[in-house]
Amino acid sequence: MIANLIARNSLRPAACAIVIALLAGSLCPAGAQTSSKERLKAFAKLPDWTGIWELDAFVGQANGQQFSAEGQRKLKAYAAAGRPSFTPEYQAKYEAIRKKVADAVAADPAHPPVTHDPLCDAPPFPATASPGMFEWLITPEETVFVSTVGAVRHIYTDGRSHPPKDELWPTLMGDSVGHWEGDTLVVDTVSMKPRIYMGELSGFYMPMSDKLHHTERIRMVNHDEMQIESTTEDPVALTKPIHVTITYARVTDFNRMVEETDCEENERDPAVNGRFSTVTH
Amino acid sequence: MRNTIALSAVIAVAAALVAGPASAHHSRAMFDSSKQLTLIGTVKEFQWTNPHCWIQVLVPDPDHPDAAPVEWGVEMGAPVELMRKGWKPGSLNPGDKITIVLNPLRDGQHGGLVVAVTGPDGKVIGRSAEPATK
Repeated sequence: MIANLIARNSLRPAACAIVIALLAGSLCPAGAQTSSKERLKAFAKLPDWTGIWELDAFVGQANGQQFSAEGQRKLKAYAAAGRPSFTPEYQAKYEAIRKKVADAVAADPAHPPVTHDPLCDAPPFPATASPGMFEWLITPEETVFVSTVGAVRHIYTDGRSHPPKDELWPTLMGDSVGHWEGDTLVVDTVSMKPRIYMGELSGFYMPMSDKLHHTERIRMVNHDEMQIESTTEDPVALTKPIHVTITYARVTDFNRMVEETDCEENERDPAVNGRFSTVTH
Repeated sequence: MRNTIALSAVIAVAAALVAGPASAHHSRAMFDSSKQLTLIGTVKEFQWTNPHCWIQVLVPDPDHPDAAPVEWGVEMGAPVELMRKGWKPGSLNPGDKITIVLNPLRDGQHGGLVVAVTGPDGKVIGRSAEPATK
């Protein structure tokens, strides 16, 4: 019963303090022993990233589909900056996959192969360049990323390390821990699915090794812009790390998050024999 | 494009839109972005749905006014993205006379990707692509 009480009140320091007094034990979750006053002070030190954000290349899109000329330029620039340099072994893998996708596209250009469905599949890590908008929820213990296309990232900033290797397995967003350097959130991520998304042809994944490691430096540059400087390392698959700095713009024409990934509601571009088709009626 | 050539209401215009990898629910390769067609017709249904909104529009053939109009399915963005650009669930209603500019499907079906829509009042609905401000 006391354990239940603790579980239910794990975010209430006062309740926890009472239990501590009674038991003089260590049953309270880590971090819950901070007093409200101390926690408020911790909040006060955190930057204010309130608002809704999107990849800057999406600014000026029309009808949810058409990119502006400037948006197209930015997408190309990001793709060029993020171009991986594969080791010979992985270059051969990349060329084989690319050829397979290219051949499939050439065989029926009107019905692209379904190698990846950017909206209906869960967005690939790090999800910040996916379609849609996102928010940051910052607490002293963790920073949470939530997007309108269903991506959620938990970045723990309570001083913890990654779990031991025998407690990790590949997941969509991996395991992220971070710390604050001034107003910059420095994030270290491991154990995401060993792959990177290649935005060429109809889009496809390139497998990477289990040494894939991602770091980010996330900061608000000014009121309307955030920047994520990211470094992707994989000494087995890449000859050098991929460094890319991507800018995100504050969304100024909308003020609420609405999900957009209910693909079962009205799916009219279904995959038929592994290719996108269109239902016109 | 089968049938579309027969529609004198169709105007083909060269366009050069790059399909971005990080947007849209699927590849846009199924649409011919080098062509723009203009349809003049009547709204049968406006589907304000995820993952994409659709306009079902009945397009008569001016050369054959007695023939049954042809139904086109015109694909748009997700509702939340459309709303950001000035659209609302009630922006179109059955019976509305509209003009749609679209990138047609490559496979000849009567469908396409919306570029712009002019409503019954003669005004373009929502905001069109504009240069980024940053």
